Amino acid sequence: MARVEFVEISKRYGDSGAVTNVNLTVEDHEFLVLLGPSGCGKSTLLKMMAGLEDVSDGEIYIDDKMVNYLPPAQRNVAMVFQNYALYPHMTVYDNIAFPLKMTGVSKEITKQKVTNAAQVLGLDPYLDRRPEHLSGGQRQRVALGRAIVREPAVFLMDEPLSNLDAQLRVQTREELLRLHSRLQTTTIYVTHDQIEAMTMGHRIVVMRSGLVQQVGKPQDVYDYPVNTFVAAFLGSPRINLHSGRLEADGDRLHFVAGTIRIPLSDRLASLGRSLTSGAEVAIGVRPEDIEVDLESTSQPANEVALLSAKVALVEPVGSDLYVNASNGDATWMARTDPRLPVRRGAEVTLALNLKHAHLFGPDGRNLAAE
Amino acid sequence: MAIETRFEELEPDLQTRQVAKPRPFFRADNAYMIMTYGILILATLIAIVPFLYVISTSFKETRSLFSYPPRWIPDNPTTVNYRKLISEHPFERWLLNSFFVATVVTAIKVIIDSMAGYAFAKMRFSGRDKLFMLVLLTLMIPFSATLIPLYIIVRELHMTNSYWGLILPPLASPIGIFMMRQFIETLPGDLENAARLDGCTEFQIYVRVILPLIKPGLVVLGVFTFMNQWTSYLWPLVVNTKPEMMTLTVGIQSLRSLFTVDWGILSAGAVLSMLPLVLVFIFLQRYFIAGSIAGALKE
Repeated sequence: MARVEFVEISKRYGDSGAVTNVNLTVEDHEFLVLLGPSGCGKSTLLKMMAGLEDVSDGEIYIDDKMVNYLPPAQRNVAMVFQNYALYPHMTVYDNIAFPLKMTGVSKEITKQKVTNAAQVLGLDPYLDRRPEHLSGGQRQRVALGRAIVREPAVFLMDEPLSNLDAQLRVQTREELLRLHSRLQTTTIYVTHDQIEAMTMGHRIVVMRSGLVQQVGKPQDVYDYPVNTFVAAFLGSPRINLHSGRLEADGDRLHFVAGTIRIPLSDRLASLGRSLTSGAEVAIGVRPEDIEVDLESTSQPANEVALLSAKVALVEPVGSDLYVNASNGDATWMARTDPRLPVRRGAEVTLALNLKHAHLFGPDGRNLAAE
Repeated sequence: MAIETRFEELEPDLQTRQVAKPRPFFRADNAYMIMTYGILILATLIAIVPFLYVISTSFKETRSLFSYPPRWIPDNPTTVNYRKLISEHPFERWLLNSFFVATVVTAIKVIIDSMAGYAFAKMRFSGRDKLFMLVLLTLMIPFSATLIPLYIIVRELHMTNSYWGLILPPLASPIGIFMMRQFIETLPGDLENAARLDGCTEFQIYVRVILPLIKPGLVVLGVFTFMNQWTSYLWPLVVNTKPEMMTLTVGIQSLRSLFTVDWGILSAGAVLSMLPLVLVFIFLQRYFIAGSIAGALKE
């Protein structure tokens, strides 16, 4: 159990910056998720923590002890790799026992720890097998077992579920959470999957191009994204993001983009007043905040904007119905009741609930965050 | 909905259906196959006939060596050539020298080449790639260009007519380093990372993780090296002049005197020197093939 601090951490490969000025604290017992697209630096940050990559600038502390110059084995961290990294020539027992053997633990204690870990992970029947005779999920559990027996201060997990099929991913996700709940070990978890991030992390760190974009609780990051990147990265289906400009019409501020004219709510207008009229902005409305009105009975209100649109695509996914509707210059995705009898080509009214909408400035930053 | 098939609906189809004519044997693709096999059989005969003739000659008496027409199976097969070879010449000494040198060179090269291959494939150090290029460049230098300088060095170090002179120079061959690097490069990088986190030193990673996984590569290198050393002729000829230090290849060649050649004994020597290689090939032939294409294909 340990507290981890990244202080001004940077990593450069030649002139290219893989990680830039990351300041982050992971509290004791916390499950922190590093989320971002491929190449954003999240795995590099994890490897610097593990000692598998050198730090170009900055310090890493584990329980107030700087570990930059400590070799990996002396940092008291254990890592679970994306491709498991099991030793193919060893049995499951030997794979799990390997770190204990390397650190000189006696055979009796090794046997006890390996047996315990195998019981926790349901690996008892497979101890004599080699990795080639195991399924993906079983291999992942062996990799976890090898990490658990070390009783490390910190678990590092580098996209451990990405090689599993969808159903197994859900199952293993639950197992990981149960394990964390039981062991309470500080965990840093890397993923590009927002579902994993939202469901697993106490906090998530969204990264892009080596920079930390936002840190916060999953729901907070989802509800209050600091910029267009975070807003677009979290949420499925993706947030509706449209660029346009602000235009004052009397005492009401409008968002205008081509033929689209959305009167802003008082909340959004107060944010927009910090900008000049005609300023370039972007509006973001999540699909679940758009209602599809087939009979055009909706009434405009301060926080409800109405748009006429034509349905271009209807995607039933079982629990929801995704309706893709075009309004002249823009396409809007709405998530609605799966039993709504909407057809492709239908003329509908889209009711945009602006209560949770976002307004982003010319630099992409959320005006509400300033 | 039941699916029904009525025979009368099928019958017209059966009546009008064309029966396939038998295909002629002498079609274009058959002719190609015959030609291909013909060429392969001819090439095999060209390669194998000399071997068979040597074996046949080794069991013939001297007087029947040049009989006409030549007989593939001797009328009175005899082992006198083999007995003479062993009793009148230091054949066992030649055999021991070849076996000792080939085995020691193979054992040392497997160790040092795999270490060097691991360093070039997986370790990070300044100048690694340039150093590897330099090692590869030495492959382009023909042995005939380095023979004399190498002899001078060995002579100055007083290693002529000794096992050191036979063993040390072949250890510097870079082909094994290249082969091992190619094998080791195919191993996932996360395996060593996991081993580092598990507490292994670099040497322990090499011994406990890398070596067990490149066993096929080690066998290929061992077979390749042993075969090269067993058949090596020019260097052993140059570096050793004493009869007791001759290897098998040099010793058998010494059976040819200036004016006469006892073909029977020479053939017996050739057969006996060939035997170990044939046995190695029979049991490890897949490693011969792997060695010849090692590194040619991206895994």
